[in-house]
Amino acid sequence: MRLRTPFALLGAALLVLVGPPLLTPGSGSGSDTGTDIPGLRFMVPNTPGGGYDITARTVAKNAEEAGLTGGIEVFNLPGAGGTVGLTRLVGERGDGRLAMSMGLGVVGAVHTNKTPRTLADTTPIARLTEEQDIVVVSKHSPYKTIGDLLAAWKANPGKLPVGGGSSPGGPDHLAPMLMARAAGIAPRDVNYIPFDGGGELLASILGDKVAFGVSGVGEYLDQIEAGELRLLAVTGAERVPGLDAPTLREAGLDTEFTNWRGIVAPPGLTDAERERLVGLVTKLHDSPQWRESLKTHGWTDAFLPGEEFGAFLTAQNERVDTVLKELGL
Amino acid sequence: MESLTSLMDGFGTALTPVNLLWAAVGVLLGTAIGVLPGIGPAMAVALLLPVTYGLEPTGAFIMFAGIYYGAMFGGSTTSILLNTPGESAAVVAAMEGHPMAKAGRGAQALAAAAIGHFTGGMIGTLLLVALAPVVAALAVDIGAPDYLALMVLAFIAVTSVLGSSRIRGVASLLIGLTIGLVGLDQLTGQQRLTFGSLQLADGIDVVIVAVGLFAIGEALWVAAHLRRTSGRPLPVGRPWLAREDVRRTWKPWLRGPFIGFPFGAIPAGGAEIPTFLAYVTEKRLSKHRDEFGKGAIEGVAGPESAASASAAGTLVSMLTLGLPTTAVAAVMLAAFQQYGIQPGPLLFEREPELVWGLIASLFVGMVLLLALNLPLAPVWAKLLRIPRPYLYAGILFFAAVGAYAVGGEALDLVVLLIVGLLGLGMRRYGLPVLPAVIGVILGPAAEQQLRRALQISDGSLTGLVNTPFSVTVYAVVLLLLGWPLLRKAVARRAS
Amino acid sequence: MTGGARAWLRAHSELGVSALLLLLGVLVLTDALTLDVDVAARGPVGPATVPLVVGCGLLAVAVLLAADVLHGGRGEAEGGEDVDLDAPADWRTVLLLAGSFLGFAVLIGPLGFPVSGALLFWAAAYVLGSRHPARDPLIAAVLSLLTYGVFDRLLGVPLPGGPLMGVL
Repeated sequence: MRLRTPFALLGAALLVLVGPPLLTPGSGSGSDTGTDIPGLRFMVPNTPGGGYDITARTVAKNAEEAGLTGGIEVFNLPGAGGTVGLTRLVGERGDGRLAMSMGLGVVGAVHTNKTPRTLADTTPIARLTEEQDIVVVSKHSPYKTIGDLLAAWKANPGKLPVGGGSSPGGPDHLAPMLMARAAGIAPRDVNYIPFDGGGELLASILGDKVAFGVSGVGEYLDQIEAGELRLLAVTGAERVPGLDAPTLREAGLDTEFTNWRGIVAPPGLTDAERERLVGLVTKLHDSPQWRESLKTHGWTDAFLPGEEFGAFLTAQNERVDTVLKELGL
Repeated sequence: MESLTSLMDGFGTALTPVNLLWAAVGVLLGTAIGVLPGIGPAMAVALLLPVTYGLEPTGAFIMFAGIYYGAMFGGSTTSILLNTPGESAAVVAAMEGHPMAKAGRGAQALAAAAIGHFTGGMIGTLLLVALAPVVAALAVDIGAPDYLALMVLAFIAVTSVLGSSRIRGVASLLIGLTIGLVGLDQLTGQQRLTFGSLQLADGIDVVIVAVGLFAIGEALWVAAHLRRTSGRPLPVGRPWLAREDVRRTWKPWLRGPFIGFPFGAIPAGGAEIPTFLAYVTEKRLSKHRDEFGKGAIEGVAGPESAASASAAGTLVSMLTLGLPTTAVAAVMLAAFQQYGIQPGPLLFEREPELVWGLIASLFVGMVLLLALNLPLAPVWAKLLRIPRPYLYAGILFFAAVGAYAVGGEALDLVVLLIVGLLGLGMRRYGLPVLPAVIGVILGPAAEQQLRRALQISDGSLTGLVNTPFSVTVYAVVLLLLGWPLLRKAVARRAS
Repeated sequence: MTGGARAWLRAHSELGVSALLLLLGVLVLTDALTLDVDVAARGPVGPATVPLVVGCGLLAVAVLLAADVLHGGRGEAEGGEDVDLDAPADWRTVLLLAGSFLGFAVLIGPLGFPVSGALLFWAAAYVLGSRHPARDPLIAAVLSLLTYGVFDRLLGVPLPGGPLMGVL
């Protein structure tokens, strides 16, 4: 009986030490496109079903379908507007097989949470898509045009609650603040009400709980088409094809705002590792599978690889900084 | 009547052999993953999303519905057996279910939960078919002041779970409210009680609190006073519901849906508040009130039925308005978009086959789940026969796995342990743990709605009572509060 | 300290709960008062209001509880199927168990899930009185490895594999 103990211990130790590597299959069998990155993992800094999640999972799926790489493992690490994920990413210095999907929201969250790790610490890989915001009211709303709305808003900003689907610092918060600034309303006077994502926001616009709502253009296409929501304006530089609404500039507001999403990698990568990631995303961008996904999701292509994306990030960072400082956040 | 014909067509879709197969696969997968610790329906659906990629949309969504409902059935199994709820809807199931399991009535608790899910789901889905457009229109009219009124009502209900010592119950509630304060302030984004930690910025998840207070707290408490003399395993008892059990549970099963369904349909719904309200309702109405907290079967049946019906309510808002009211709904919405389908006001016109096939498959899935889970209940319950050291070691192990799997953060484990030690202290000094969990659930929700209502009214207090709905609820609250006084006054006059 | 005082404290150890509540209340109040309330909040309820109410509530309950204890009130320790309240509390077991759990939290990074998980189960079972030198570690190892396989491989929920990942 006594003799069995050492053997049992040895067996147990072997199981837990050697078992995991044996359970893991060898490197993925990507095809010979030269883009394969075995064991590539995608971190999603928000919850399943959120914007970055859909972007990451679509990229992973399309890259596999296009034969660019073996399986990409997508995992979620939500928290604090994406800054928990960002902090982890920066901590994984030199890991050439990790990337994170992100967007404008993370830029804002870095500011509001005052995190020590910022996007300047990451290796920019590429901006992928962009999306304009829309200004919508319910079908019962007294505001028929963006002009009506702006006139009423300027007269009494406090009485016109603005609903958005993101917490302070997020895209839906920045857009009305920029609008207010251009309209001559002090951003601090804006009565912004954050909702828990697009669903709750939609209910409060439909039920006339808020005077108007600001959200991504893709979110409410159906409700607009069905006549439940009235689209007053789009926030980008140009009109959105298929939508009958002026831009903010046409409405006399000297501002524009576009939300975007992209991919960053940990700091400290070798040039080769960085090139490999940028190369993979560039190939993905050219694939028919990605084109198809852009169409089904209603995303606008806004591809901007490597260094240029880095410069873009710096500019966005400054812009967000200015707005949030004015708000005292 | 129109919807009835459509539903019949839907059954035509759902009952084809292929779709029946997908429903069965979904139900099995959902149950299997739902019983894993730390994985609730939202995560199960998200994890299994890739499995459905290869299917055509109708088959995929039928499988999806199976996974969703299956994960809910499976989730209460872990909650009841191991005291480790995997998501907030299953928290209430642990409160009465686990004591039942410990007393050798695990099979009955599981059966009561399974039948509760079945009736709740069936009635909920029937309501979905009959009332979807009406409910959807009403749900949109519910605003912040109305939610706040509902929260106040729920807080009044808390008084019935404070336990024998009021002061200790209130202490527990306040501890829960304090835990609920941790995190970023939802309206201004300021950090409260986070001590600069980013991981705490989103607050402490109610599941972590529940698992910590229930599972870890109890394991530690038992360790301090382990009955070393008795080597006998936990009794398993009779495998089936006795007539007495059925007599006690049929009403809760039927009542649950009428609490759960409306809450599921409104935005900011979720299953925590309806399950809790179902629990206190059953406690109020039960003839065995003293059994609550020690394993009252009504306390399993009612909340589980409400949870299932609230899931059906969730589908109402999602299918008719494109409005995701819970995490699961958000994941399903994303899945719809994968197929280029946009749930919303036009969905029923554009994709009638898919929608009605999906709804019909909910009924089919429910029958499959009942057929699967009822016979499994005694089998699961037998798991508790393992020796106690293994049982409690296993509870600690699975609680740890669940907490770690969610975010992959070691800090979550430390938080879990701290909450567990808190649970130990509360057990030692007779502070009931239930009010603390309720505080974590209700506190942040009530604060958010209160402040949102005030923000919408630009700071005016009239913004809290400016809807007929909220005024009605406050009237009910006053009536509930005033009733004992009134009765006393009447009694005095009579004597 | 005299024996009488010690016995009094032992009998009134519930005052510790009061003290903890008091401490918690002070903590909540300090945190609330140091919040920067100069942000665009409308109406009488700002980010600090609810914490202030909760903090004051904690202080009040701490005082009331202390009064209750001094007047002879006692919290009833929770009973249960496996709980023997007549036996003296075995705090050593509790400490060891909490220690194993903390060990798991610390070790999961360097040693990976399968190793640390198996250690947690084994240690917990041992502390709780299981004495099967051969069976215990094997059950722990198999359980931990199975869990790892299901979560990491089948479901794609990443768990750290351990030091030998990438070596073998």
